[in-house]
Amino acid sequence: MASLTRRRTTLVGWSFILPNFIGFAALTLVPVVAALALSFMEWDSYSSPEWVGLANFERMWNNATFWVALTNTCYYALGHIPLTLVAALGLAMLLNRPLRGVGLFRTALFFPYVTSLVAVAVVWNMLFSPDLGPVNQFLRAVGVDHPPGWTTSSDWSMPAVILTSVWRDMGYYMVLYLAGLQTIPAELYEAAKVDGAGRWARFRHITLPSLRPTTFFVVIMLTISSFKVFDLVQVMTEGGPGRSTLVLSQLIFREGITQGRFGYSSAISMVLFVIVLLVTLIQFRLQQRSER
Amino acid sequence: MRSLTVASALLLVTAACGGGGDEPAKTADGKDVLTIAVWAYDQTPEFKALFDAFEAENPTIDIQPVDLLAGDDYAEKVTTMLAGGDKTDVLTMKNVTDYARYGTRGQLADLTDVVDGLPRESYRGLDAFDLDGTYYALPYRQDFWVLYYNKKLVGDADLSNLTWDEYAALAKSLTKGEGAEKVYGAYHHVWRSVVQAIAASQNGGDQLGGDYSWMADQYATTLDLEKAGAIMPWSTANSQKVSYDSQFSTGKAAMLPMGAWYSARLIADKAAGKHDTDWGVAPMPQPAKGAGVKTFGSPTAFAVNKNARNAEAARAFVEFASGEKGATAVAKIGIYPSFTNDAVLAAYAGVAGMPNDETAKKAFAPDEIMLEMPVSETSSDVDAILKEEHELIMAGEKPVPDGITEMGDRVKNEVG
Repeated sequence: MASLTRRRTTLVGWSFILPNFIGFAALTLVPVVAALALSFMEWDSYSSPEWVGLANFERMWNNATFWVALTNTCYYALGHIPLTLVAALGLAMLLNRPLRGVGLFRTALFFPYVTSLVAVAVVWNMLFSPDLGPVNQFLRAVGVDHPPGWTTSSDWSMPAVILTSVWRDMGYYMVLYLAGLQTIPAELYEAAKVDGAGRWARFRHITLPSLRPTTFFVVIMLTISSFKVFDLVQVMTEGGPGRSTLVLSQLIFREGITQGRFGYSSAISMVLFVIVLLVTLIQFRLQQRSER
Repeated sequence: MRSLTVASALLLVTAACGGGGDEPAKTADGKDVLTIAVWAYDQTPEFKALFDAFEAENPTIDIQPVDLLAGDDYAEKVTTMLAGGDKTDVLTMKNVTDYARYGTRGQLADLTDVVDGLPRESYRGLDAFDLDGTYYALPYRQDFWVLYYNKKLVGDADLSNLTWDEYAALAKSLTKGEGAEKVYGAYHHVWRSVVQAIAASQNGGDQLGGDYSWMADQYATTLDLEKAGAIMPWSTANSQKVSYDSQFSTGKAAMLPMGAWYSARLIADKAAGKHDTDWGVAPMPQPAKGAGVKTFGSPTAFAVNKNARNAEAARAFVEFASGEKGATAVAKIGIYPSFTNDAVLAAYAGVAGMPNDETAKKAFAPDEIMLEMPVSETSSDVDAILKEEHELIMAGEKPVPDGITEMGDRVKNEVG
């Protein structure tokens, strides 16, 4: 009898997760396996795929553009992740107080995240325009004689993309941090105050440790979104000038869709997959270690 | 990452499901549906002109345009459609580089037998579609580049036989005003062809060759114009996504090197009251006098999808569009057709609003038209490299000699 009940319970459990699992299998698992298989083939999407072994990976290794795209992707991630994290945490700290109109500020900061990314890119492109853009007009007004060319300068185009993406994302992660901040018991702060802890000490010894799970989640999400960045770069700079903002997702798109080299494109996507997986696993390991 | 892998799987699945053999769709009143992939249907009047003319001749066929909207992304959208086994009957071949890719991949139907029956001497641009003796598309339009000018801004300057030095001097003299009121002597669009294809066509340069020293003079001319403030800075035009039409038809630039296709738009927009610019057409400026008018261009064509649902009607349409009747239909709206004879050229010259003075006649009859980009399996890879290095030169990131050297090195090392 007990075994029948257990079996029934198991079936009910499976029935709940089955729709999600079918979606996951059809839209994630199968494509990942297909991309893995394709990465060992040469395929133009029309004729029959041809097995080429490691040739696509060898080509990637010897291709300067791949290394440029990989370096650019890391550059973007190293700029986007810490800046967004600091901005989001700072804003959350600021807006976690009973200020007048705090709801309005929170909404205003969250708004860019739900705005069309293409619209965001177009507007920031105008703001960054070298001659007519308000950013450079402001810089000139404060005495910068030769402000950057931003999206048309190979040195400044990636910082321009990073700044835009930080502006867009910080509101979303601010909301996550606000939720985290509100779970910290006020008694902890009161006790610390009684013990004579200053603002910095309270932040360092209470706020930061309490927000560790939130920070872990934020970093994971930012890592994944940073490595697969595509649309913002595509609209703002199309990977240029030159190859200065070319990222891996764009290279995957170019090689697959534009050049019809789906095997090579899949090989690059596998590398991207492995990078994201490794970075995520390392973060999980660090999180587990810090919890011990 | 997930979206990319999802796309890969969808491509696999849809490609596997693809294949011809489906019956043509029918309209409610029993007509056979013929689907044709186009870009920006509302802003590209030649499509409607051709479709209306074909439907008038073939009342049992109903053409349904598949409008892929943005022209710049057209090739990528068609590539994705074809990868998914799409069955759109006719595909517009916007340029020969993309055509070569589809053709060599076996995604287009063989039209060699149709080409064999054509009066080849009447066609311009047909050879560009020869892929090792096989034709997969027939051109209906033969574009080449000319110099547009605003009659009011240019005044009585003679543009019929300009050298680039004279053009530069004229552009500088026509530049006036400041800020939002500034009128530039000329507008050079951000495309690499505006420098590189002009140089190739007039200096005998090979864009696939790996030696690009022949580009140096054209870059020097262009950058000098920019430094003098006679053309909009490339960085501004690129970051603001400035359209050449917004500069020329609103009188913000006195001269504009651009393709002959722009005439049709200027005429249509003027007729619709969108601008009142009094414009003319002159031959493209040349490096020196006396060498004839050399310019570049690219034919546009229609091809039949290998998976077409209505292959018979598709072949009939492609043949019609490239022949005399199609040529007449597009010539009447100011598009220079691939097929020409006296009647077609008369129709083209007779378009209301089309410049037909002696300077325009010379512009519309260039002595040599070089293909904008040679057709080869390496064309698209080389094109990407030349574009990237062009951006760096024009943005002032690289001196011209360095950029030219880098183009050569990269083409040799990355394309081989």
